[in-house]
Amino acid sequence: MTVELHDITVRFGDVVALDGVSFVADQGKIHALVGENGAGKTTLMRVLYGAVVPDAGTIHVAGSRVSFRNSGEAIAAGIGMVSQHYSVIPELTCLENLILGAEPGWALHRGATIQRARELAAKMGYEFDWAASADRLGPAGSQKLEILKLLWRGSRTMILDEPTAMLSPADSEGLFQSLRSLADQGATVIVVTHRLPEVLQHCEQVTVLRGGKQVGAQPVKNLEAASLAELIVGQQVQARNHGSAIPGEPVLEVVGLRAKGYRGDWAVDGADLTLHEGEMVGLAGVDGNGQRELFHALVGTLPSEGTIRFRDEDWSGQGTARRIADGLRLVPEDRHEEGAVDSWSLVENSILGLQRCPGPARAAWLDRTQATAIAQRVTERFATRHGGLDYPISSLSGGNQQRFVAARALEMSPKLVLAFQPSRGLDIRGSEDVFAAIRSECRAGATALIASFDLDELLSQCDRVVVMSRGKIVAPPRGAEMDRSAIGKLMTEVE
Amino acid sequence: MNDLLLLLGSTVVLGSPLVLAAMGGLLSERSGVMNIALEGKMLAAACLTAVVSSSTGNPWAGVAAGVAASVTLSLVHALVTQHFKADHIVSGMGINALAAGGTSLLVKGVFDREGAAAPVFLPVAAYWVTALVAVLYLVWYLTRTRGGIRLMAVGNSPSKSRQMGLDPLRIRIVSLLAAGLLCGLGGCLIASNAGSFTDGMTSGRGFIALAALILGGWRPLPALAGCLAFGMTEALQLQLQGTLLLGVAIPTEAWNALPYLATLVALLFRKGRGGGPASLGVN
Amino acid sequence: MRTRLGWTHGVFIAASLVLIFLSVRATGADFGETAQFFVRGSLGGPAAWTRTLKEFLPLLMLGTAVLVALRAGLFNIGADGQFTVGALGAAVVVLRLGGASGMLLGLAAGLAFGALWALPAGWIRAYRGGHEVISTIMLNNIARLLTLYLVKGPIKDPDQQGQTTATFPTSTSLPEITLPSGTLVTSGLVVGLLVVVGFWIWERRTVAGYELNLVGANPTAASVAGVSAKRVKLGAMLASGAVAGLAGAIFVLGHEHRFYANLSPGYGFDALGVAMLAVSGVPALVPAALAFAVISTGTASIQTLGVPRGLSGVILGLTLLGVAAVAGARKRIAHE
Repeated sequence: MTVELHDITVRFGDVVALDGVSFVADQGKIHALVGENGAGKTTLMRVLYGAVVPDAGTIHVAGSRVSFRNSGEAIAAGIGMVSQHYSVIPELTCLENLILGAEPGWALHRGATIQRARELAAKMGYEFDWAASADRLGPAGSQKLEILKLLWRGSRTMILDEPTAMLSPADSEGLFQSLRSLADQGATVIVVTHRLPEVLQHCEQVTVLRGGKQVGAQPVKNLEAASLAELIVGQQVQARNHGSAIPGEPVLEVVGLRAKGYRGDWAVDGADLTLHEGEMVGLAGVDGNGQRELFHALVGTLPSEGTIRFRDEDWSGQGTARRIADGLRLVPEDRHEEGAVDSWSLVENSILGLQRCPGPARAAWLDRTQATAIAQRVTERFATRHGGLDYPISSLSGGNQQRFVAARALEMSPKLVLAFQPSRGLDIRGSEDVFAAIRSECRAGATALIASFDLDELLSQCDRVVVMSRGKIVAPPRGAEMDRSAIGKLMTEVE
Repeated sequence: MNDLLLLLGSTVVLGSPLVLAAMGGLLSERSGVMNIALEGKMLAAACLTAVVSSSTGNPWAGVAAGVAASVTLSLVHALVTQHFKADHIVSGMGINALAAGGTSLLVKGVFDREGAAAPVFLPVAAYWVTALVAVLYLVWYLTRTRGGIRLMAVGNSPSKSRQMGLDPLRIRIVSLLAAGLLCGLGGCLIASNAGSFTDGMTSGRGFIALAALILGGWRPLPALAGCLAFGMTEALQLQLQGTLLLGVAIPTEAWNALPYLATLVALLFRKGRGGGPASLGVN
Repeated sequence: MRTRLGWTHGVFIAASLVLIFLSVRATGADFGETAQFFVRGSLGGPAAWTRTLKEFLPLLMLGTAVLVALRAGLFNIGADGQFTVGALGAAVVVLRLGGASGMLLGLAAGLAFGALWALPAGWIRAYRGGHEVISTIMLNNIARLLTLYLVKGPIKDPDQQGQTTATFPTSTSLPEITLPSGTLVTSGLVVGLLVVVGFWIWERRTVAGYELNLVGANPTAASVAGVSAKRVKLGAMLASGAVAGLAGAIFVLGHEHRFYANLSPGYGFDALGVAMLAVSGVPALVPAALAFAVISTGTASIQTLGVPRGLSGVILGLTLLGVAAVAGARKRIAHE
């Protein structure tokens, strides 16, 4: 069945997330929805799934007008969605997860239900131990279970939000084969992605969102990667030259680092990395290849094996506090969870992580005057807009919070700046400012490692780029340190 | 032989109220609502049962009033934790205080006596059967029914459950009301066992039931075993009162402390949630 | 901080007040007369103030104890048990050792015993992941039964009928102070107020105080900032227990001059209410503890009118529910 969304507008407070967006996906086809982070892709799909009620606009499913007040109504209309963070509940069994919310009856007939589950899985060529607890499923297994959950519910329209984010290339390939067979059987498949090769290779239609607006909808056939990329970012991406660093002595030496991910697998699996004084290194890679765990191991919040040496200090046995004292600074991935206390004032947040550094701390005592001075500097560096230093950080907009957290990581003479997606939630100006500031710290003798899923951003901002792939760090060959296609090959494991 | 039968008999008598309360606690905690208010709910039920059956002479009216009191407190619990998003611990303590104060006020102030005495009660065996049926039903319910699967899902992840089209709020409210019903029966039974209501007569049994629930990993059968074990320590204490065990007189207090000590030791040796719902106490 | 309170909050609080009013009316007492007795019994004159301040001190100190733990995100329901065990420690010391040294050692013993009684809960929370509410409920009951056993036998005064120790030597009493108004207070009140002021300054002015609050507010951010949440939680629980134990020691050395069964009429649970009213700032502990003390002595004095003490339980319960409901609204704002 064909789904149509017309003139959808969604506001979150003062922010317009979607501005009169239209979107049409035909039955029997794989439709791609692409755009940068924050373009509104997920919000649009949540509207179709009934999880977000739009402020304006219409939805048609199979020709008839519908309006969903919640996901239950969308599910009843044959729409299913697999969100980026799987909805598999690890404490339940695979079977319970499969049928949750769509149980065949009041009482569960186990034998018959398992039989039906087996048949359904067999149709897709999958195999499951249905009685086993779902916590043992890896990312690929969870993804398969999610697809079966949609089928179990009789979904005819399937939305998959960044389905390959956590999958290996082989598993991604398998996923698209499954989606193809579903489309051939008459399903409407919508894939939200930011990976263009997937679009060009597997999808038939594509809709592009930019800044909450629809900027293009066309068949994929005859479309070229470059023009699609241009539609997404709005202008031709070109590398800029910021004057390369003269790398100094090696300062951070990581050898054979191993750290476990939250699923218990070795997410960082023998990573080697050497950073030199004064350089700004980009860490590229597809999401889920161990970047997060690498950062946490370097910060000291995730137990790891192997060696981490920083300027003659052996960090392996040292805790986070020691590493901060040695000059480690972090722009964390999730500022709410890791980088701020939402209810605290800007002054209190400005010394978070720096609370033991001489300056804000005098022996065991806190120096409030110093803290206020730091807050002043932090807010001024990237022109953070705020209502007063005593206001809670939650009163700032998302972008201004990010400016604040990034500026704080450059306080109190940083020696090693680790930044995970530092431009997250920032406009182009803002992200330019942040990268420029990190660069100037590096020119003054610091070292920076910046992780991003946006390769172009890294290529245009960093001195060199390395790639994280399956828990290891690989560097492009000599002479091709900034070669987009060489790095892209490493990311996608193309030989 | 006679002693053994007597012991088993008293174990059932003393363990049944714990079982009823623990099963109520299981339903509420499995849905994600932390329930340290079992004690207060039982106390309110015990009080109302005694007061109403002695003043009306009708045991059914007494039980109905007791259960209604407990369910009403559960409604308040649901309102405060689910609508107002209040902290589960503070609101649980609030309900306990309200029940302790309110029952004392009712008995001493309104009826002007130290306790509600000599009421007519239902045969206690009816409660034993109810307790056993509740356990067996829950064993089946949690793994073999739609409601049970949804209950487990909501307690582990309300947000993912909502994504799957469930209504976590409704499930939690229904679970809390069912918990109120079972706790209420437990309270009625305590009053029946004693034949009267005295101030603070549940004397920590709600907390012992909670302990059994936690020790049993929030599963019906192990929780039942825990409740019966705790019931047996109480029975042993009554039976062995004054006699020597291995040449030592075990003080009453040591027997009474056994459930609490056992729980503490188990907590010392167990790592993590111990099988509890992942989103317990999370709004 | 902004709070988003809906009309339902208003209805809930109004219903609570009506319930309290009806509770009094149901006992057959005249409301006006009851209110008069209530105020006179708790605040009318030096004798009333003496009684109220006697209740005030343990509530203030236990409120502080609960708040210390609450800052690290822990609910110390066990303050009552720590109070009791602290008092026991002080009693055991001063029954053997008289004089000022006995008194000082008694205070120290209260501190140590209280911390010791909180240790299992802190350790279980930090290193086993078990919930402190469960462990402290268990520890409260064990403390109650343990002290009951001791005052029935091993430390019972054989010359007395009741379950109590002998009266302490007068040389170990905390000095009493007569205020100009004629109100009699123990010098322990000064210690209690110093503890509150000390905690207030420490929390706001030291790195450790900052880190304590950080762990309670956002444990993930704390670990990224180099703070071990486990160590801080364990430390907060020990400090909380120490303050509660000290409160128990002061209670027996300053007021009761003996240790007896069921020493605490539930101060530790009232203290939870005191601390909840003071989450916005340590100084609020003083009016909050005073309010609970007034309720306690006030309800005691209206017993002559036939209104049972249970009324204070009703007020405490409704206060806890109301405060939790309002705090819930506040939390929702912070998450948006």
